[in-house]
Amino acid sequence: MKRLPKFFLSAALVATMATSFSAVQAATPPDTLVHAWQIDDIISLDPAEIFEFSSSEIAGNTYERLINYDIKDVSKIYGEVAESWTVSDDGKTYTFKIRQNKKFASGNPLTAEDVVFSLQRAVILDKSPAFILGQFGFDKNNVKDKIKQTGPYEFTMETDKAYAPTFVLYCLTSTVASIVDKKLTMQNEKDGDLGYNWLKTHYAGSGPFSIRDWKANEVVVLERNPNYEKKAPLARVIYRHIKETATQRLLLEKGDVDIARNLNPEEIAAVSKNPDIKVDSAPKGTVWYLGLNQKNPNLAKPEVRKALKYLVDYAAIADTIMKYKGEVHQAFLPKGYLGAINDNPYKLDVAKAKDLLAQAGLKDGFSVTMDTTSRPETTGIAQAIQSTFAQAGVKLELIPGDNKQTLTKYRARQHDIYIGEWGSDYQDPNSNADTFAANDDNSDNAKAKPLAWRNAWDPGPLTAKTRAAVMERDAEKRAQMYEELQKAVLDDGPFVIFLQKIEVAAERKNVDGFVMGPSFDTNSVAQAKKN
Amino acid sequence: MAGAPPLPQPSGLRAWLLSAEPNSRWQARLGRGYLGWRSFTKNPLAVLGLGIVVLLLFVALFADFIAPYSPVIGGDLRTQRLLPPSETFWLGTDDQARDIFSRIIYGSRITLFVIVLVSIIATPIGLLVGTVSGYLGGWVDTVLMRITDIFLAFPRLVLALAFVAALGPGIENAVIAIAITSWPPYARIARAETLMIRNSDFIAAVKLQGASTPRIIFGHVVPLCISSLIVRVTLDMAGIILTAAGLGFLGLGAQPPSPEWGAMVATGRNYLIDQWWVAAMPGLAIFVVSLGFNLLGDGLRDVLDPKAAK
Repeated sequence: MKRLPKFFLSAALVATMATSFSAVQAATPPDTLVHAWQIDDIISLDPAEIFEFSSSEIAGNTYERLINYDIKDVSKIYGEVAESWTVSDDGKTYTFKIRQNKKFASGNPLTAEDVVFSLQRAVILDKSPAFILGQFGFDKNNVKDKIKQTGPYEFTMETDKAYAPTFVLYCLTSTVASIVDKKLTMQNEKDGDLGYNWLKTHYAGSGPFSIRDWKANEVVVLERNPNYEKKAPLARVIYRHIKETATQRLLLEKGDVDIARNLNPEEIAAVSKNPDIKVDSAPKGTVWYLGLNQKNPNLAKPEVRKALKYLVDYAAIADTIMKYKGEVHQAFLPKGYLGAINDNPYKLDVAKAKDLLAQAGLKDGFSVTMDTTSRPETTGIAQAIQSTFAQAGVKLELIPGDNKQTLTKYRARQHDIYIGEWGSDYQDPNSNADTFAANDDNSDNAKAKPLAWRNAWDPGPLTAKTRAAVMERDAEKRAQMYEELQKAVLDDGPFVIFLQKIEVAAERKNVDGFVMGPSFDTNSVAQAKKN
Repeated sequence: MAGAPPLPQPSGLRAWLLSAEPNSRWQARLGRGYLGWRSFTKNPLAVLGLGIVVLLLFVALFADFIAPYSPVIGGDLRTQRLLPPSETFWLGTDDQARDIFSRIIYGSRITLFVIVLVSIIATPIGLLVGTVSGYLGGWVDTVLMRITDIFLAFPRLVLALAFVAALGPGIENAVIAIAITSWPPYARIARAETLMIRNSDFIAAVKLQGASTPRIIFGHVVPLCISSLIVRVTLDMAGIILTAAGLGFLGLGAQPPSPEWGAMVATGRNYLIDQWWVAAMPGLAIFVVSLGFNLLGDGLRDVLDPKAAK
C-alpha cells in the first residue's frame, strides 16, 4: 500500500502530460518555417558529395556558388561569389574576379583562396558529382595546375578544350561548385581527407542559412547566417522527415507544419479547397521516362520501340495519376532548356502500334518485364502503362523493388524496361544530351555509363553530334544542334519520355516567399517569411 | 454382410443414424458424423462461419460470372477514377479506374489459393515431424523439436519477410514463406498428442502383433492426431490470410495488377482520408473472411475435440 501514493502521483503526471500535449496545438513559431518532406535520401552534407534531391536543395540554401542563374530566366547567368569573369580568345582560360567583403558564417573572410580550394577539393575527393567539373579535363593530378589563384581576389581556370562558355559556366552553378570555408574545413582535417569526414555532417558555407543539425531520417535544422549580406527574414527553417503523405496533409491542415512537399494529386485537390492553404508549383528540369534495354531482342527492333511510344496514354497520365505533378513532355530536354522542343508528336494510338508490331513480326504482341520502384507514383504510372500496353497485346510484367535494387539492376543492364526519373545535373542542355544521345563505348565494361549505355543503345552518329554541340560557341547554332538530336532520339531512341516533372508544395496561407526554381537545388527559403 | 445397408427402421433416417447398435462401420461413421453436425449446428456462430467460408468458395469458383468488370483492366482514367460506391460500381473504383467489387471477387481466388496451398504444405510437414518425434523419442525427438523451436523463436511475419526477400516477391514465394513459418505449431500439437497415444494399450497391442514403426505411426498415430490438427489449421487460416495480406501490403506478396486484398489496402492507404472505400472495402473482405474461419474453427473444435467438455 505504501506504493499507492507514488502510483497516483505518476498517473497524475502522465495525465497532465497527455492533456498538455493536446493543448499545445499552436501554430509553428512566427520566425520558423517548418517543412514536411521525405528527406530519407540525404547521405551527406558535403557539397563535394551531395548528389541527391533533398540535400541539393539544402545546399542551395546554405552555400553560395561561384556563379548562379536567374531562376525566372535560366538563360541569365550572374556572378554570386564571382564579381566578373573573362574568357581568353582560345576559349580555354577563364579568369574570375571574386567579390570582396564577403564573409562565411564562421566569420572568416571569403577570398579566392577559398574558391580555388573548393573547386580543387571537389575534383580531388572525386565523389559522385565530381564529373561535372572533371569533364573539363581536371583530375586529381593536374587540378592544382589548372585551377590557380592569381591574386587575393582573382583566379584562373584552364579547360582542356574550347568548350561553349555557357556550358562551362552552367556547370559552375551546380552544387558541387559550392564555396567551402577553407580555414574551418582544414581545421577539421584528419589524415589528409580535406575535412571530408567532418563536413559530411557539418557546415562551412556562406549562404543565407547555416546548417545547425541533421539527424538522418528525422530532421534538418537551418539557422539564419548573420554574416549574409541580404539577411534572411526567418530565424530558422526546419525540414521534418514525414514519410506518409497523408500524415503530411494532416500536419499541414492542423498547422503543425507550414509546407507539405509530397502530397499526392488527390490530397492536393483536397487541401486546395482549404481556405488556410495555398498550392504552389514549378516545372522542374526532370523528366519521367521508360528505358528500353536493347539487349532484349524484341525491344531492339526499331518498329517495337516506336510502337511502345504509341502505347502510353500520355495525356491521361498527366491529367489523373500525375495531376499537378507532371505535364506531357516527350523530348529529352526539359522545357526551359536551350534548344528544348516542346511539340509532343506521340499520343496513345493502339491501331498504329499494332501496325508497327505487325511489321516487326510480332502481330500477337510479346511479353516483357519492367522494373518498378514501389513508390506509389511509379507503381500508379506503371500500372496505367501496363493496361495500355495490353491493348496491343504487349504483356507487361511489373517487377517491383526498392529504388536501390532497381537502380542496381538498371546500371548493370539486366532489365528489360526501366521506369524512372532523370534530373539534369546542371542547367546546360549537354547534361541531358550527354546521357540520352551519346554513348562512346557500348561494351559491357565501358568507363562512362550514360543512360544510352544503360539501355545498351549505340546512338551511332549522334554521339559525335553531341560532342560537337558542346564545342559550338554560337548559341543559336548550338540550340539547333540540340533540336536535331532530340528529334533523332524521339524518332528512334530507346527512351519513351512521357512527362516533365512539376514540383508541388502546399503552404499555409501566411507563408510568403518560398520560391521553387527550375531545378531541384533552386527551391529557396532565403527570402521566405511568415505574415 | 457388406452390400446394401439395412432398411431404415420405422422412425426413419434419423433413427437409423442414431441407432445405438449400428449394423456396419459405415452406419456407425455416418451416425458419428450426424451427431457432430447436430452439435455443430447448435452453435449459430459456427454456422455463420461455415456460411462465410462456403460463400468464399462459391465466389472464388464463379468469379467469372459474378464480377461485372475485369479485375485488372481499368476504365477511363479521366472519368472513372476513384469513384465512390454507386449503382454502377457497387464498392467504388480505385486509382486505376478499376471496379473494386470485381477485384475483391477475383481476389478471393488468390486468398483461397494461399490458404489451400499453405495448409497442404504445412499440415503434412507439421504432422510428420510431430508424430515421428513424439513416437520415436530420444535423439530424434531432441533434434526435431530443437529445429521446431528455432522456427518458433522467430516472429512469423518477420521470418516470412526474410524468406520472401531471399526468394523474390510473388504470390508463390509468399505461399512458400508462409508455409515454412506455419508448420512448427502443428508439429508441437501432433507431438503432444502422440506422447499421449504412444503408451496406450492399443498401440502396445499392435506392436506385439509385429507392426512396423512406420505402420504404427501412419496407421494408428496419425489418424488420431488429425482431428485436433484440423481444428488448429482452421483457426490458423485467419492468421494465414492476414500474413498473406501483410506481405501483399508490404509489396512482397502478390504483384500488381493482381487483385490481392492486402496489396489493395496498401494502394488504398494513399487515399485514406478522402477516398476511404479504396482501402476499406478490401480491408472489410479480409476481416469478414478471417472472422469466418475463426468462427468455423471454434465450432469445429467443439465438435472434433474429444477432450472438450462433454
